Amino acid sequence: MTSPWVHRFALPVSILLLGLLALASLGIGDMRLGPARIIAGLLHRDDLAAIVLWNIRLPRMLVAMLVGAALAASGLVMQAYFRNSLASPGLLGVTSGGAAGAVVVIGLGWATTSIFILPVAAIIGALTATGAVVLLARRGASTERLLLAGVALNALLGAVTSYVLSNFTLTYERNAKILFWLLGGLEDRTWEHVVMASPIVVAAALLWPLGRPMDLLSLGADEAQSLGVDVKQLRRSLLALSTVLTALATSVAGTVGFVGLIVPHLLRLVVGPEHRRLVPLTLIGGAAFVLACDLVGRSTVGGLRVGIVTSLIGGPFFLWLLRRQA
Amino acid sequence: MATETSGVTALTVTNASVPGRLDNVSLSLTPGMLAGLVGPNGSGKSTLLQVAAGLLSSTGQVAWAGREIGEILVPERGLLASWVPQEARFEFGFSVRSVVAQGRFASGDDERGVDEALQMFDLAGLSHRPVNRLSGGERERVLLARAMVTGARLQLWDEPLAPLDPKHGLEVLKHARRVTRDGATLLLSLHDLRVAYCLDFVVVLHEGRLRAAGPPEAVLTPELLFEVFGVRAKQTAGLTLELP
Repeated sequence: MTSPWVHRFALPVSILLLGLLALASLGIGDMRLGPARIIAGLLHRDDLAAIVLWNIRLPRMLVAMLVGAALAASGLVMQAYFRNSLASPGLLGVTSGGAAGAVVVIGLGWATTSIFILPVAAIIGALTATGAVVLLARRGASTERLLLAGVALNALLGAVTSYVLSNFTLTYERNAKILFWLLGGLEDRTWEHVVMASPIVVAAALLWPLGRPMDLLSLGADEAQSLGVDVKQLRRSLLALSTVLTALATSVAGTVGFVGLIVPHLLRLVVGPEHRRLVPLTLIGGAAFVLACDLVGRSTVGGLRVGIVTSLIGGPFFLWLLRRQA
Repeated sequence: MATETSGVTALTVTNASVPGRLDNVSLSLTPGMLAGLVGPNGSGKSTLLQVAAGLLSSTGQVAWAGREIGEILVPERGLLASWVPQEARFEFGFSVRSVVAQGRFASGDDERGVDEALQMFDLAGLSHRPVNRLSGGERERVLLARAMVTGARLQLWDEPLAPLDPKHGLEVLKHARRVTRDGATLLLSLHDLRVAYCLDFVVVLHEGRLRAAGPPEAVLTPELLFEVFGVRAKQTAGLTLELP
């Protein structure tokens, strides 16, 4: 069991870590900025730094943090919902659902009409995928069942995406945009994307008080119901929140995999399984993780997209988890 | 023996049916009763307990202390009745203490009675252990302790004795006897007919139907045991554990 010392310092340490990563994210790039110039730039006292920060790095940093927090929290919720620590939006196909929704509206050329079209389409796609997983795993969400349902859904939704890519008469611009979703990235994120992703803050706030009932649910739905948790309503809220979180993240950054699996897992190892602690830590930890992955990607020669970095870390991590479970 | 203190029954199940599992079962327990639910595998014991706990919908009615459960909101249900599943499956490594403390969820998470319950079920030494690394019997005791700290006046336990060793089994029965003396009502399913013989009331299920209900000496006759379980029973002198 984890010690009270860890419990006391986990939150301040993670906030500090996130702050340092945020500073690095603002400072590192073609034009290196030290803390003093970052402050000067943010306050518009340094014109060049202000342009770089306000137009490029700040929106990118905020999108990275929102996406990371959303995907990690979504994974945490799905693990409690399915009582399975291997559940995550990517593996279950919810991310693919969001991406398929986004790709379809881009392919149809609707995405440019309003900034809300894309997130709404992603939410519809993700909800469809979530609905399918819930139906498939209604009774007994064993790891095998969940993962196989995920394999099937990912394949099916991948086919939808491929169909759009191959059969629609696409302009170069649309094609590039679709590829962007599929690869997952934070390049060229603007304030528009920050606005698109901002409901993540609301969803996270709604998730905050559900930590305690999630503890009970994660040990069994009937048991939780018997102890006074309105399981039906809780499950509905959790599914809606986790789906919306994944969809919003996907609509601004494409498919960024494994965040929902890695972050809750590592944090559970550090602070234990109690959701009142895990919910805030997962939000912060997810933001820090994606920010760190983006930093790694940006610092690599030639540049690696954030989705590639998370997958390079997540793939082996997932295999390690499977080995550990077996 | 339990005595009816008021006109109100602790648990009333009226004409409950669940397709393929339970067929028109009616049952009534008075406050302070320690009741046993027996029947062969697949006879509907777990189903009846889930129906009585309001976890499984059935045709028919269920009432706790005279109140129709459909009219009781879920959070209040957590205060009135507690159900313990047949098998405890824990995916996450919550500490024993935190799982027992979940029993106080409906009472504002005040942790009242948690330490006493840990002592009662011989869990004090395990209180910081993760529940997913416990043995089957230890997990069962965690669930029973959690049910006990709810303070619910109606306790519905599904085969609580099956995974326990004789000492812990007898202790659980002792605590069961104690809470019913304090006025709570307990219905537990079990397979050990010798234990059933020591309870206040026995309900016999067979193929989803209520076969008999009443004081054990009236119900558990050799004829009925042969008919329901297909076993021949006779009184013999043998090892007799001191039952509470």
